[in-house]
Amino acid sequence: MIWWIIGLAIFIALIFVVYYNRFIILGNRIDNSLSQIDVQLKKRADLVPNLISSVKGYAKHEKGIMKDVTDARKAFMSAKTFEGKVKAGAELQNALRSILAIAENYPQLRANENFLQLQQELAAIEDKVAYSRQYYNDSILGYNNLTKKFPGMLFASIYGKKAKKYFEIPAEERSVPKVNF
Amino acid sequence: MVERISFHDQIQMNKIKSFVLIVVIFIFFIILGYIISMILDPSYFFIIMIFSVIFSLIYILAGYYNSDKISLASVRAKPASQTEHRMFYHAVESMSIASGLPMPRLYVMESEEINAFASGRNPQNAVICFTTGALKKLNKQELEGVVAHEMSHVANYDIRFMTLTAVLIGMVSIIAQMFLRNLWFANVGKDRDGRVQIFLILLGIIFAILAPIAAQLVSLSISRKREYMADATGVKFTRYPLGLANALKKIKNEHIPERERKHLVAKAMAPLFISDPFKRKVQNLFSTHPDLDDRIKRLEKM
Repeated sequence: MIWWIIGLAIFIALIFVVYYNRFIILGNRIDNSLSQIDVQLKKRADLVPNLISSVKGYAKHEKGIMKDVTDARKAFMSAKTFEGKVKAGAELQNALRSILAIAENYPQLRANENFLQLQQELAAIEDKVAYSRQYYNDSILGYNNLTKKFPGMLFASIYGKKAKKYFEIPAEERSVPKVNF
Repeated sequence: MVERISFHDQIQMNKIKSFVLIVVIFIFFIILGYIISMILDPSYFFIIMIFSVIFSLIYILAGYYNSDKISLASVRAKPASQTEHRMFYHAVESMSIASGLPMPRLYVMESEEINAFASGRNPQNAVICFTTGALKKLNKQELEGVVAHEMSHVANYDIRFMTLTAVLIGMVSIIAQMFLRNLWFANVGKDRDGRVQIFLILLGIIFAILAPIAAQLVSLSISRKREYMADATGVKFTRYPLGLANALKKIKNEHIPERERKHLVAKAMAPLFISDPFKRKVQNLFSTHPDLDDRIKRLEKM
């Protein structure tokens, strides 16, 4: 009889451990996906000065757009919160999109090796932001399902884990916009 | 949630199967050692048994920790260059983000055929290898589709079981053949009980015949379902089934004349690839891969 009780106690303890670890694992997954987004946004901002300098030589009178991009980058660099960064990152992306679009008007720029490479890098970063956003959405869904479904919700209240606030990360297109002219 | 559990089950299954495989290989060498000691001289029994235990341990450990290197070397793959294969790196980085897996090491093998495989013992020590033909002929979506397929093999530990099978059994069949050859020499000029000798020779022959058949059977048990699973899981990463479907179509429609095909790939390695490097016209019981048309159809329905 005593062994049954001990066995049951161990079993219950194990369940507690398993659920605790699941909360930790799924929580880490969310943090990880957020930091991935952060890394990619940062990479994009780092490419901006390079891009500006290669565009400058060919498209001197597009100052307005270039200023937009530089400003958007500054806004991104000074953003403190993650939400702010994501928002500024999206602005920057819009500004970059217009700079890539005007590049279509400058055949010499389009032929520039350095510019082409930057364009490819930016497209790849766009992909990666899209994928990390997808991974973030999945991770948060997994975590919140665990906290809301039975029996996970019991453990969630025991461990004081609440469903995470889901915040909208603006969607990014997965390829460079095609410009028809 | 159901999906996650079955994914977890796949991982468990692959780990268990890998372990069973290792045990089987270990026993195989012990039996082999026993037979050799019987043939040579039963008085050396203990020495030979100790030797065969040590040998099989080294064999298994070396195979386990170097399976990725062995499989890469067997197709003469070279590390992919960051500058030359930029698209390749981007596709894999994207998929490693989408799947939450660590970044695998990337390799390229010389071949005009579109093909790819993944190898390694776990996601932390995984490699992905593409043919130069695949990197040239696939566009971005198709490349991502194939990479996602390979990443699913990495994620569910298919790579561990598949590579171990290819490396351990592939080598066993070679060793068994050597054993058979030496058996003939060992028997020349040795005067012993004829019946025992015949028995041992028969046993040796059975071994040598069984080893490649075993390799064939294991490769059968490896691939078919796994390819469908990896296709489906890969789509979960890209969210774009047509990418992989189009890549498979390109593989299907590609006609590389037999004489231009370089058969760099060892037979035992074939099941690791996304499509059979020894393409046959007719799909049969011994095909290592499911029918491409069927895979494409399933992807298009998703």
